[in-house]
Formats: sequence, C-alpha cells, structure tokens
Amino acid sequence: MTVELLLGVALGGALLTYVLGKISPGLRNAFALLNALALVVMISLLYGQSFERALPLGFLGLELSVRMNMLSWFFAVTILGIGLLSVIYSLVYMRNKERLDYYYATLLFINASMLGTVVAGDLLSFFVFWEMMSWSTYLLISLRGGSKAIFAGIKYIVMSLIGSLTMLVAIVSLYVSFDTLSITELAGHVQSTTMGQALFVLVLFSVTFVIINALWPFHTWLPDAHAEAVSPFSAILSAVLVRKGLYGLYLLMYAMLGFSMLGKLAWGALSYSNVLAWIGAITIVFAAFRALMQNDSKRILAWSTVGQGGYMVLGVSVATNLGMAGGTFHILNHCIYIALLFFVAGAIEYRTGGIRDLDSLGGLIKRMPVAFVGGLVGICGLIGVPLTNGFVSKWLIYKSLVLEGRPFLAFAAFLGTWGTILYGYKFIHNIFLGQLPDRFRDVKGIPFTMAVPIVILTVLIFLFGVLPGIPLSVVDQVGTYLGFESLNVSIWGIPSETGTLNVVNLLAALAVAGFIVWLVLRAIGRSVSVDQDDTYAAGAAIPSGKYHYTVGFYSPLYRIVGPYVRDFVDAFFLKIAGWTGSVCGVTRKIYTGFVGNYVMYIILFLAALIFVQIAWSPW
Amino acid sequence: MHVVWLFLYPIVALVVGVLFLGLSRKVMARMHWRYGPPILQPVIDIIRLFSQRSASHGRLFDLGIVLSLAGSLIIVLFLPFGDVAPLSGSGGLLVILYMMLLGPLGIALSAGESANPNASIGISRKLMLAIGYELPLLLVLLAFMSRYNTISIVEVVRLQRATGWSIASFPLVVSGVAYLLILPAILAIRPFELVQAPQEISSGPMVEYGGSYLALAKVQHALSMFIGISLSVNLLFGGASHPLIFLLKMLVILMLGLFVNAAFPRLRIEQAIRYLWRWPSLIGLVGLVLAVVIGR
Amino acid sequence: MDRNQLVKWLKAPAKMGHKYSLHAVYFCTGCGIIEVPPSITARWDAERFGVLPTATPRQANLFLITGYVSVKTLRAIIRTYEQMPEPKYTVGFGSCPINGGMYWDSYNTIKHLDRYIPIDGWIAGCMPRPEAIFVAVTHLWTLIDKDMADGYKRYRKHYAAYRANQEKVLRGLDWPPLFPVEEQ
Repeated sequence: MTVELLLGVALGGALLTYVLGKISPGLRNAFALLNALALVVMISLLYGQSFERALPLGFLGLELSVRMNMLSWFFAVTILGIGLLSVIYSLVYMRNKERLDYYYATLLFINASMLGTVVAGDLLSFFVFWEMMSWSTYLLISLRGGSKAIFAGIKYIVMSLIGSLTMLVAIVSLYVSFDTLSITELAGHVQSTTMGQALFVLVLFSVTFVIINALWPFHTWLPDAHAEAVSPFSAILSAVLVRKGLYGLYLLMYAMLGFSMLGKLAWGALSYSNVLAWIGAITIVFAAFRALMQNDSKRILAWSTVGQGGYMVLGVSVATNLGMAGGTFHILNHCIYIALLFFVAGAIEYRTGGIRDLDSLGGLIKRMPVAFVGGLVGICGLIGVPLTNGFVSKWLIYKSLVLEGRPFLAFAAFLGTWGTILYGYKFIHNIFLGQLPDRFRDVKGIPFTMAVPIVILTVLIFLFGVLPGIPLSVVDQVGTYLGFESLNVSIWGIPSETGTLNVVNLLAALAVAGFIVWLVLRAIGRSVSVDQDDTYAAGAAIPSGKYHYTVGFYSPLYRIVGPYVRDFVDAFFLKIAGWTGSVCGVTRKIYTGFVGNYVMYIILFLAALIFVQIAWSPW
Repeated sequence: MHVVWLFLYPIVALVVGVLFLGLSRKVMARMHWRYGPPILQPVIDIIRLFSQRSASHGRLFDLGIVLSLAGSLIIVLFLPFGDVAPLSGSGGLLVILYMMLLGPLGIALSAGESANPNASIGISRKLMLAIGYELPLLLVLLAFMSRYNTISIVEVVRLQRATGWSIASFPLVVSGVAYLLILPAILAIRPFELVQAPQEISSGPMVEYGGSYLALAKVQHALSMFIGISLSVNLLFGGASHPLIFLLKMLVILMLGLFVNAAFPRLRIEQAIRYLWRWPSLIGLVGLVLAVVIGR
Repeated sequence: MDRNQLVKWLKAPAKMGHKYSLHAVYFCTGCGIIEVPPSITARWDAERFGVLPTATPRQANLFLITGYVSVKTLRAIIRTYEQMPEPKYTVGFGSCPINGGMYWDSYNTIKHLDRYIPIDGWIAGCMPRPEAIFVAVTHLWTLIDKDMADGYKRYRKHYAAYRANQEKVLRGLDWPPLFPVEEQ
C-alpha cells in the first residue's frame, strides 16, 4: 500500500464521481461513498509506516516526493474520516438539491488535495496541493448561491490568495538559498542559515498558516465562510481544512526549523513562540465573546472554531511534550465535536426548513432526541466537561501552561472556556429546550443516514473522554516524531509527579453517585408527567407554544461587553477592500476602452509638454 | 480506611451542608430579631418534599437534577477535608474547577426542559453571574498555582502547613482579599442572590421544581455551599489537620458570609457583573502579577 | 407542639413533615394580604412554625387565599391550586372567600369559594389579625394529625362536580381536566 496509490484513488475518485454523475445519480452517490470508505481503509492500513519516496515526474528539474510518517498519518486520518462521515451525511441532506455532480466531485477533490498537502514530501508539491485546496474550497463555499454566499467565498479566496503568495515568496527564498525543496533536506540546511533569513521565512510562512487557521487578526473570512457553506461541508471546513494551518506550523516550527533555531529567534521576552502564543490567547478570548453575541446556530459554531484554534496554538507554542500532546490531541477532539455540531445544526436546518436563527427555534428535544443528544455531547466536548474528549486535551494545555509559568496565557484559556459555556448553553437551550412552538409540532426526527455520523461521533467523544489513552498513544507518537520526549501514557490518562489525571476514577465516581441519586429519586420520589403548557405563570393560562425566553438571552452581558468586542479587524479589512474598489473604479474611468479617449490623453500630454517647454524651456 | 472515607465523606458533607443551611436560617432570624425555625428545619422540609407527588416535565428534567447532585457529590471527594482527600490524586484544582460546572449544568438542563421562561431567565442570570465571578476567581486560583507551582490542592494545603496560612503570607494576601470579595457570589448569597430572586422571577431555575426534585435541588444547594466554603478554607486558611478543626474554620467563614447576606440588598445582574469585574478583578490581577514576580 | 418527639417522627415521617413544613402560596387577591407581611417578618415570625412563603405553587403545600375572589381571579386560583403537588391544604382568609362578605351582592365576585376548590379551613373576620393565621396553622396541625385535612382527596373524588361548577361560572376553561372526567 503506497501513498501514491492513495493519492491516485483520491484524485481519480473525485474525477470519476463527476463522470458517473452524468450517467446516474444513484451510481454517483454509491461511488462517492465507496471511494471515501476505501480511502479510510487504505489510510488505516498505512498506520505506523514511515517512508519518503520520489515521484516519477519532476518539475523544472525539481524532484517531487511524497512521504508518510506519524504526523502525516494523524492529519490524514482526520481528513479522510471526517470526509467519509460528511459524504454519508450528504446523501440525504443534499438530496433534491441542484448541481450535485459538481458538489460531490468538489467535496472529494478538496479531500484529495488536503490529503496531498499532508503527504507532500517537498515544498513545491505542498504548495501545489495547497493551491488546489484553496480554490476548490472557494468553489464549494459559494455553492448555495446568493449574495451572502458569494461574498463569503470572495472574502475567503482573497485572504487565502494573499496567504499563498507570501508562502510562494518564502518557498522561492528557500530554493534560491539551498537549491532544494525537499522538507527533510531543508531541515538540515536551515540550521546553517542566517537569523535574518530564518525570521523572514518563518514570518512569511506563518502568515499563510495563521490565515488558514483563522487566528486573530486574520480570522475574518471564517465566520462568513462557515455559516454560508452547506452543513456537511461546513463540518469539513471547520474540522479539518482550517487545521491545515496547524499542520503547516508543525512542519515549519518543529519538522523544519527545530528547537535550536526557534530558541535562537528571540530578543528577550519577544520570541516567536511567545508572539504566537499571545495571538492564540487573544483569539480565544475575542472569539468567545464574539460567539456570545451571535444569533445564528452555524455562526456560533464558526466563532467557536476560531477560538478553539487558539487553544491548539497555545499548546503548540508552549513546546513541552505535555503542551504539544494537548495541542495535537485538541486538533483531533475539535475535529470530532465540531463536525458533530455542524451535523446537528444541519439536521435542524434540514428538518425545520432552513431555520438557523436561534431566536425562532425551541423545544425540539421532544421531536429530535438524537439531534439533542448529539448536540449536548458535542457542546460538552467543546466546553470540555469531564468525561468528554475535550476535557483531556484542555487539561493538558492548562497544566502545561501553569507549570511552564505562563499564568496569563492560562487565564485567557480559562476565560475562553467560560465564554464557551455561555454560548454553548445558549445553543442547546434556544434550539432544544423550552417550549415547542406550534409550527414545529409535526417536525420529524433525523433521517437514518444523517443520524449515523451523529451517533458515531457522539460515541467517539465519550470513548476518547473515558479512555483517552487510545488516541493519546497516537498523539504521543506524533510528539516523538517531532522530537519531543515521550509521555508516559496509560489507557485511562496521564500519570505524572505534578498532578495526575485519571478519568476512569472520575467516571466511576460519577456513575456510582449518579446511580445512588437516581435510585433515591425513583424509590422515594413520586412524580406525574405534565404537559409543556402546564407551567407556572402566576396562575394565568400561558399562550401555548409561544412562551420561550430566547431573544437577548444574555442581553445584560452584551450591554457591558458589547462596545469592547466589536470586530475592528473585519471592519478595517472591509474598509481596505472598499478603498481598493474605489481606486479601481477611478482607474476604470480613465481606461474607458474607447480609442478616441486614449488619443485625447496622448494629445493632452503632448500639449502639456509643449506648454511646459514654451513656458520655462527646461529642455 | 480509604474506601470507607470514599463513601463516608460525601455523607458527612451532605449532613454538614444541610446543617449549615439550617444554622444560617436560624442565625439570619436572630439577626432580624426573630425567634427563627429549629436548626433541623431543612431536614423537615426535605422529608416533607420527598412525600409529595411532584410534576415532571420529561426525562431530561429528571436526569439533569440527578447529574447535578451526583456532580456535586463527587467534587467533594476532590477537596481535602482535614487529612481526608479520597480522590485528590485524580487531577487537582483544574478538575475541581471543571467539576464545579456539573452542578449548574445539570440544573440548567433540567430547568431548561421545564419550559418555563422564569427558569430560563434564572439560568441566563446564573451563567452571566458565573462568568462574572469566574474572571477574578481564575486570577486568584492562577496566583495560587503559580506561587506554589502545583495544580494539586493537596499540595497547596501541605505547603501552607509548612509556610503558614496563605492569607497571612505576603503576595497571596492580595489574592486572598480578592477571593473573599467574590465569595458571596460563589455562595450565591445576597447581594448576589439574583439567580433565585423569588420576588422577581419566582425562584428562577427552581420555579418548576416540587416534591422530590426540589428536595434534591435543596441538597445540591447545601452541597455547593459546603464546596464553596471548603475550597476557601483549603486555599486561604491552611486547611486543617483534623476534620473537626476544619469544620470550625468553615463555620467561621459561614458566619462572615451570613453577616454580608443579612446586611446587603440584592444587586441587579449588571451591577453584579460590573462590581465583580472591577475591584475584585483588579485586586486579583495585582495579586497574580505579584505572585508571578515574587514567586520567580 | 410535638415537633421534638422523635417517636412520632419515626412512626409517621410524612405526616410530621407536612405539619412542620407548611410552605405557603399567599394568593394576594384583596385587602387580606396586608396582614401577611407582619406575620412572616420580625413582628410575628411565622418561620418559627415552619411556615414560609414560596414564590411558586410547585414548591408549596399550603394555599392561603387572602381576600375577595373575583371571577377573573378564580381562574388563576384554580390553575394555581391544580399546579400544587399533593398533599396540599387550602385556607380561606377573611370573610369574603367564605360567603362573599361585603361583596355578597357584587355581580363579579365569587361568594362561596369552596364550590370551586376544596377548602380545609376558614379564618373568619374582616380583617382577621395575624395571630389568627397562627391559630389556623395550629388548627391545621390537628386536622393533619387526624387525617381530616383531606381537601385534595375530595377534589380528586368529586372532580367532575368541581369542574362543572368552575366551567359554569367561568364559561369554559382553557386547560384540560386534571383528572379524567367520566361522561355521565
């Protein structure tokens, strides 16, 4: 089993899906599903292998190569796994929509190009796959049509192109200096380079990766793009595509430059990893408070994606084995729960006729229990409630921050978590709890194929939360590949001398206590079930189905923090875009396209010259 | 002995919490120049509530309250009680901070299911108040963690035994003051009693609880009071070597809280957040900076 | 007062619990409510008997109707009574709920409250003083002791009749019956 075959299947499958779609939609769906499934099987067979191989075709005398190691494998698994679930979910979600051949082909193509970026062995093929990923994503963001979706797509592609161009400059600079683009060879050469060039390359690459990872000053494309894309694709965007930026940072910071080089790039407290960490911290707090103010189910999740990226960057930039494990594990966890949440939000949208406004939903737990359980578990993972996967990774990040003496960063991380609790509860409460409005009385549950990914991801959240040793052993191998000391991982958690984590103890205690309390409630308490309308309203009969407190759920808090958490960066970028637009508008007025005008410009110019000569005779 | 304490300690916490509830009612009454109910009045209430037929609003309504009480019962196991700390080795302060979430989360889910807007308003107030006091609380806890360079609360107590109470040691006294300023908010007593606020929103999240649900919610409230006070004794006042001395210290803090409770009227939620984010946070920040600078 | 007799507590904990933990919903319909604040605050301190005001009927087991009952209020009273968990006790306070009092010939007040919900005891007077509430409470204790405070049982037993009375005066109720009503 080779990586070339994997890439071939992925790219060929995307193309073949399009062709098959012209023959029969059923065949196309079956093939897309089969292709995604085959890729998952193939990648799981590649577990633990490590090799690098040159591709038979070269480019401009450069050798292209692919490679497989623990880092690539880890990211590849998340890409292909979420890709498979997303295809399963699309089968019903996208049914009866237009341009499905295009949708499935592009979806698989994006997966293939993301896979390409993580298995690329040299920077040129990395760049090529990166570009493929950028523009194909653009195609799918705007799939839904309408001015909002098109605008979101434009916003994304502009920022993404800026990122790609800075990366290209960095790649060319490396090539000119070292005459090779292979990542492993570069890692050796880079150690001997000057500080100036190292910093130059580092900053240019970082801009690219920070843009795609949507960290603070460059986050502005993400909320629009995620909210406007169709839900199965939002899941891919948010769970794996955004995290390609982190893959890039891993590659850059640890696989290429290495610790010694990173350590040298510091002037007092102002070091590269410190700056990155503070960007992460600002992102966490800012995104948490922005998410609080959203009223659109997918926009809340999009902002949470921005914020969670900050946690990963914090973990990565602390650069201890604990922080690294936390950051890496959080990538996996985030990919699980955010995909789940987007699937849930999509299911709500699908069943209620496209409603995403949190002010107009409510009470859906009675009609869509599976979606509720999925949503609740997903939000618990996002918050990091004990016994879900998010808890373990966040615990690792916090602990490394505290023990490394970075209490202010830890404070930002904690505060972000409390913001998460607030908007997470709002998400659950406004959609599922409270009174069921009359117009949703006949809403049906989730269709089977949409429920399958939701159930799988829900189970995974619990499994990885209770037995974190399973994924942590893989995460640990990623760490050791990048040159970190191995963690002493056991199946239930992490034993260490400065405070252990033992999740199974927690589970056992909670289970026993919960069982006892439940027993008391069952044995002694007697209760009768009552209708949702039978609630206390000072004796008045309440207006049934119209009595749900959702609008302005945290309005006192908005009034306090609202003025301080405006998205100044977004406004600034939009203003720049506006100026650019008006400059272009002015230019267009000059270059009208009429020959007569150009002749007039020439004559006017000559006349001016003659006038100047006559008046002052400078020549 | 370890296993015995594992089961005994939550029961002790429960009994102590309920007794504290009764005591606080009695003491408040005496402050009002009333005779007041017997100290065991909460027990009578709980017995009465369990014998009533209550209304249930669905499965989540039941499960939420179970989750809430179970979560509160096991946080107790993480807090050192004198020398007893059955589960303290499973994650330390960070886990305590997160487990303190389960109680309010369970109540929030359960009350949300009850489909009463008063409950929803109460929960939104509760969550806003929580982010209000979490901000200074996190600063305080981080100051402790950086000063003692550990995330284990047992270690914090052990180090205090060697160096004296942390509220009497220099950089931490600042954080200690900040902690005491937010303690009423953590215990949800006046002036921060705005979550239940019977006169405004019909006791908020509790509006649909009757019978056994209300009994469990009362027990949970008693436990959360125990947890809040026990955390402050462990962090600020050096824990204790014997459970009885520990209880005595807890009693002193409870009395302090009751004086505040009797003297102040209720704040609006905005006033509460503004207060919590102004002075306690500022003092907490100074405390954290001092702890980091001096602790190095 | 037998609150401290352990034997009784062991024999019938539920009954003793109900006696000494009467959490009340005060239904502030008329002038009678003015007597309640003194009775629950420092002057008379109802809490020493375990009587405490609650904000919602779900938490209560004592229903105190203080003052005249207009037709419009009756709807809220019935609703509140039905939302209280069983066992529950009702006390009418003042002469208006008993027989209409000074509103006996008003077109818009209810004259006999016990036609619409069961009443366990009355406090007569216009106005009764706060002490009368304590007399009523001690009397209610005796009734509970002898299982005579059985209003909620009567309500269940004669629900059809009560419901018919309610519907007659209110011209239709906009909530479903609390207990199944057989068609007769």
